Amino acid sequence: MGQLEIEKLSETKFVLQMGPHHPATHGVLKLYTEFEGERVLKIVPDVGYLHRGIEKLAESKTYPSAMTLTDRLDYISSMTNNIGYCLAVERLMGIEPPPRAKYIRTMVAELTRLSSHLLWLATHALDIGAMTVFLYAFREREQILELFEKICGARLTVSYPRIGGVRVDIKEKVLEEISKFTEIMLNRIDEYEGLLTENRIWISRTKGVGVVSSEEALSLGLTGPALRGSGVYYDIRKLIPYDAYSEVDFEVPLGENGDTYDRYLCRIREMKQSALIIRQCIEKMPEGEIIAEQTIDIDIPHQGKRKISAGDSLWSGFIKFVDEKAELIPPGEIYSAIEAPKGELGFYIVSDGSGRPYRMRVRAPSFVHISAIPKLCEGHLLADVIAIIGTLDIVMGEADR
Amino acid sequence: MNNLLKKILFLDIIKGLLITFKTIFTHPVTIRYPKEKKEPEEGFRGRHAFVRDPETGKERCVACTKCAQVCPSQCIYVDFSLNVETGVRVLTKYEIDALRCIFCGYCEEICPVNAIVLTEFYEYASYDRKTNYFNKESLLKNWDEFISQYKGNEYINKFWYLPGINRMRLPVGKRQPKPVPIRKIAGVRD
Repeated sequence: MGQLEIEKLSETKFVLQMGPHHPATHGVLKLYTEFEGERVLKIVPDVGYLHRGIEKLAESKTYPSAMTLTDRLDYISSMTNNIGYCLAVERLMGIEPPPRAKYIRTMVAELTRLSSHLLWLATHALDIGAMTVFLYAFREREQILELFEKICGARLTVSYPRIGGVRVDIKEKVLEEISKFTEIMLNRIDEYEGLLTENRIWISRTKGVGVVSSEEALSLGLTGPALRGSGVYYDIRKLIPYDAYSEVDFEVPLGENGDTYDRYLCRIREMKQSALIIRQCIEKMPEGEIIAEQTIDIDIPHQGKRKISAGDSLWSGFIKFVDEKAELIPPGEIYSAIEAPKGELGFYIVSDGSGRPYRMRVRAPSFVHISAIPKLCEGHLLADVIAIIGTLDIVMGEADR
Repeated sequence: MNNLLKKILFLDIIKGLLITFKTIFTHPVTIRYPKEKKEPEEGFRGRHAFVRDPETGKERCVACTKCAQVCPSQCIYVDFSLNVETGVRVLTKYEIDALRCIFCGYCEEICPVNAIVLTEFYEYASYDRKTNYFNKESLLKNWDEFISQYKGNEYINKFWYLPGINRMRLPVGKRQPKPVPIRKIAGVRD
């Protein structure tokens, strides 16, 4: 190869279509990337490969039925999605779940946070090249899924919370098991830290990669651990407490430099806090009802109110409709957000008084985080792109909806 | 200085290697699936079945169509005829497309007579679609198949009565659900 040809090659841009089927892009994310040598010049994320029209589908389902769709948004933390949706409808209706339901919800939400962060740690470490952590993290995640199976009968698509409470009560035996699990979990987190935190390969792959300052992170709309890694104190659990978060003590871990390593430390500390929250919830859990009195039944009609009286037989009770224009849910609109494992998960619901949401819009953290990839990848190497995708914790089911 | 010493002695790597070395002496957490099987937990939402009523030997369904109403994926088809003399509904067609089902458990929760149930049976993958398109007969067969493997004398599903909920919220038939006694009679199947 002559000198001239080598010069020509170095000037040429190299275009790589990364994804949609790439094991390191966490789903069907496609990245149009331009390189000069190994340096990133430009990245354009391409989303929409997993679009199922969940927001539109929800308009054709009643409020309780639409909850099962939210399981499929961020499919590794379905419990928090359910809670976010139920909370939005509850705020729209102006009802509040009883205290026991609040504590149960907080507990399962933190279990989900553990499970989601474990999966993030596993895949993030695997992308960077640490195989062992992947196997260890999945060992613990399996235990969490088994606990979910005991609580509600399903491992992944749980549909456990209910508008105005939760579905079934948790047995005392299962609560003991969960409390035992938190002890195991705290030891295991130390194990992961022993494998990674001081490891020189891990540090050289993550420190100084994907740096984002606090102002930039705010203007990009990052939320959750991705924002807290840059040192911004923003946690909906603390700022707008929902469920029982105002009654438990926990810290919000913050990073300093806003690089991949700090976000890693943030999430690891958050996992420890989650385990402690679960323990507090089990200790403080009161006895009593698990569902509010004013809750809607799962068989509410699309429109009009059903007439049920003691004299009616079982057969005619649910066929009779009185006043087709009666309001089942108070009309209005609401935006309510919760702190999902990935970031701020918001539900915007418009109600026209019927049994179905007139419009449901989901503010998904993963979608916003994908838009931050080009900014974070500026001037980095190809291998760092993988680390940056991992550190933002993206799930495409939520981004494309 | 301390950090430099740590780097020269590879302490960070050795710390990690010690953890992996310790793991050699622990028991494996995986199971060898087709040989060993994982017992599903109580109340696991698996394959659908019709409860065979111990008194009549038939299904309990009263064709109220509530399950078809609440089903989010609309995979239940119910048809019935009306007995003019008694005014009782007679179930003529009941089909579940299990391939469309999302296993939310709303049907068993809403059923006023505890007729339909999601059993703890999960190995029903098949080579064709027809096998997982259940009708009245195959739903009863699913129940027999499940019961023949079930360890215990009585069966009750927690979604039938929703533990922790105020009983007065539930329909009359679900306020005090009776567990289904299991008598393993030869010849019930087929």
